Amino acid sequence: MVTLSTNDGEKFEVEKPVAERSVLIKNMMEDIGGDDQPIPLPNVSSSVLKKVLEWCEHHKNDPLPPATDANDATEETRRRNIDISEWDGKFIQVDQEMLFEIILAANYLDIKPLLDLGCKTVANMIKGKTPEEIRKLFNIQNDFTPEEEAQIKRENEWAEE
Amino acid sequence: MGVRPKKNKLEQVPEMSSNGKGHIEPVADEPTRGPPITADLPTAWGFLEAGVDRIMLNFTAGMTNHYYVLCYTTCYNYCTNTKGIGASGLAGRGAGAARGSANVMGSDLYNKLTDYFKRHIARLRKQCETLSDVALIQYYYKEWESYTRGANYVSRLFTYLNRYWVKREKDEGRKGVYPVYILALVQWKDHMFTNLYDKNNKLVNAVLQQIENHRNGEEVDTTLLKGVIESFVTLGMNDDNGQQRATLDLYRDKFQTHFLAATEAYYKKESEAFLAENSISDYLKKVEARLEEEARRVDLYLHNSTTKGLMNKCDKALIVDHMALLQEEFQKMLDADRNEDLARTWTLLARIPDGLNPLRETFEEHVKKSGLAAVQGVAAAASAAGAEAGAKADAVDPAAYIQALLSVHKKNADVVEKAFKGEKGFGEALGRACKQYCNHNAIATTTSKSPELLASYVNQVLSKGNKEASDDANMEESLNEAMTIFKYIDDKDVFQKFYSKNLANRLVRQRSASDEAEASMISKLKEVCGVDYTIRLQKMVQGKLRCCLFQVVNIDDKLDVLDVTLSKETTAEFKERMRQGGDNVNSDIDFSIIVGSTVNWPINPQQTEFSIPKQLSSIYERFKGFYTTNHSGRKLTWVWHLSNNEIKMNFTKPNYILMASSYQTAILLQFNDTHSLSYAELAEATQLADAQLKPVLNLLVKAKLLLVDGDQYDLNMNFKSKKIRININQAIRAEQKQESNDVMKAVDEDRKFVYQATIVRIMKMRKTLAHQALIQETVSMISPQFVPKVSHIKQAIDHLIDKEYLERAEGSRDT
Repeated sequence: MVTLSTNDGEKFEVEKPVAERSVLIKNMMEDIGGDDQPIPLPNVSSSVLKKVLEWCEHHKNDPLPPATDANDATEETRRRNIDISEWDGKFIQVDQEMLFEIILAANYLDIKPLLDLGCKTVANMIKGKTPEEIRKLFNIQNDFTPEEEAQIKRENEWAEE
Repeated sequence: MGVRPKKNKLEQVPEMSSNGKGHIEPVADEPTRGPPITADLPTAWGFLEAGVDRIMLNFTAGMTNHYYVLCYTTCYNYCTNTKGIGASGLAGRGAGAARGSANVMGSDLYNKLTDYFKRHIARLRKQCETLSDVALIQYYYKEWESYTRGANYVSRLFTYLNRYWVKREKDEGRKGVYPVYILALVQWKDHMFTNLYDKNNKLVNAVLQQIENHRNGEEVDTTLLKGVIESFVTLGMNDDNGQQRATLDLYRDKFQTHFLAATEAYYKKESEAFLAENSISDYLKKVEARLEEEARRVDLYLHNSTTKGLMNKCDKALIVDHMALLQEEFQKMLDADRNEDLARTWTLLARIPDGLNPLRETFEEHVKKSGLAAVQGVAAAASAAGAEAGAKADAVDPAAYIQALLSVHKKNADVVEKAFKGEKGFGEALGRACKQYCNHNAIATTTSKSPELLASYVNQVLSKGNKEASDDANMEESLNEAMTIFKYIDDKDVFQKFYSKNLANRLVRQRSASDEAEASMISKLKEVCGVDYTIRLQKMVQGKLRCCLFQVVNIDDKLDVLDVTLSKETTAEFKERMRQGGDNVNSDIDFSIIVGSTVNWPINPQQTEFSIPKQLSSIYERFKGFYTTNHSGRKLTWVWHLSNNEIKMNFTKPNYILMASSYQTAILLQFNDTHSLSYAELAEATQLADAQLKPVLNLLVKAKLLLVDGDQYDLNMNFKSKKIRININQAIRAEQKQESNDVMKAVDEDRKFVYQATIVRIMKMRKTLAHQALIQETVSMISPQFVPKVSHIKQAIDHLIDKEYLERAEGSRDT
């Protein structure tokens, strides 16, 4: 068992294979052997970690993604694969803030499949929307001047329709 | 993301012990908190450098989970800490504004790390400046091990840097940016290895010295050598094109070339010194041992890609450079039957491209020479024996001749099989040599002599009363041996002629030892030369089995004439008749006859009149009558000179039984009425021509059956012999010679047809063919049977043109 401790002081005890979904933790275990002390995760809050661990628990028996991305071919397949499994789809139905927190945590903990899941979800949210709608969705301020905007529109005319 | 040593390597090194568990107490001064998320470079790096120091310098002190995560987080925070937090903070994935600053952040950290490695290595280098030889190797190995181990951990700590900043730099095609582990290797290569290399290549030389010591039989630390040499391979790791892979450039250029040069020099010196004092035999053993040793060396501490180069160098220094010597010795080995040395030489030279060719030539020459020498021996023995017996020198014993050919072949085939591993090239060389000496040697001055002798040999084997043929296995073996020689014979058609003649003889005289053996011999021939070659022989053997048998017995008061070629089945019956014997004149002559078609049988009746003795005539008439009734329209030709008669001499005690031909019988029967006859009287009575009568009479005189007095022949009433059964039906020498000439004539005649038939066959297929091409094709089609002569082919072509089968076109021929 491995104990993880979040930045708000909560401790989570999980099985080793679950924790090792995180390449950070896995590498650390391999390198320094690990000890009984809790592993501090200063960049993750308990509410997010809970969610992340839920995903890890469900995926604990998945084959690990290749350690290096040296192989372009597998990297390519991974990128092209836009399918999201049913379980993952349900899992990622969270509010926007949580979605971004999960993405950040996955990035920090180095959990590639979860990071992919989050990014794909965001991509799906953007898909088929106008810039205006996207701005609204993510609450982004339009910082283009009208001239700039007109030019971008011209440049991307081919993509319309 | 970084390149990590293989798992097993990790296990060899002690794990960094962790707090509370490890056997070594952790260093107390571990920070409990990391720098703030927004720390600037000096703060962040300051914190990280302490961590890296811990790993690189104080590895055994270990690191707690806590510290590890703090370091990782610091790196992560620093890299992600761009001016915007949140969505655009997804460093590396964000576009626009976030990009520039993430770039800078990463490269700052990267540069700091590079500097750190540089400084670290500079420190290490200082410590080894005074070291050399083994001490240097030991130091280098120890530091290399801990450096790479540490670098590997550091690389993990900086995973985030590897994952985003380094990756993107590389994706954008920037050179000189590596994942942290590779960066560490590159630094080592540039500042440690190259430095040592520039200083007289002191490290590599030290390694080479160790290897030389090892070759000299000294104890060396192979683990150490392996470790150092592996480091050369590892240092070749690069990751251009985004692919991390080990290239062997450094190993090859900076180490292998030196190593190979040293190897060559070493073995050049050694082999020369060794050869100066030792025999080639010992040298071969030495080389064998050395080559094995070097192959093992690769496994011990070299990269396996070196095998080929190393072996090439060894081959060159140990074998190629002494090739001339080895080849020279090869001849001596052959002469002295040093099979083990032969095998060694073969194994060694087989390693060299084309190394065996000269050996094959030597071997071929050697086989040929020993073949010729063996034949010379037989010829000498024969002429010596011939001189003693007062006979002509060319009376070669076929068995001795064939055995001589065989023994040379067998011995050398053994050598090929055992010493040369049955290698094809040597098999071919053996074949060529055998062909040479089998067809052209002291005895076989013409190409037809060997086939003739071989045929006689087979005849001896297959004949009754052959000692060797005591059992089937022996006979089979002798036949197989004969076939071995047969394959090398050029003029197979000559053999066929002689063979069929001999076969006819055996069959007619019932001298064949066993039907099975005959059939087996023919099937062997068929295997080699095809059905066409043996079809006639086969028919002869089959025809013999169907032959008709007649039996009559005639008892005369002085001589019992039993015209017989007794078949086995009828022997018993014949004896029965003998007991019944009495005065049944002209009614009972035991008689058997073989009727063969002239197409298949190579027997010609002799050109002579012959009056059949009255004692035999009745039976002759009876058979003639019988045959013509059964097979009307066929002509019976009696081949008297091949017949075999048993004659019982009643005037002597004991009653000798003579095995005689019909001519002899006819002559002897004349003496039934009188004891003395003149030549003219005999000629008159038998109607035999001089050519036949004279030799027969001479033979009878020689056998002391007749006494000669001028023109007068008397029956020798005091004839004595040790044996009861006497065979006087021996082929007369002149006759033999005549026969062999006949055969050659027949062969030549046949060949003419073969030429013509072959040419016509080719032209039927090709319609038009250039003269030269036609000749070539003819040669290639005929050569399995005999060696064709171009002049003969030309004659045949001219002949065909004369007969208008072919016609000449411009530079070519049309059918």
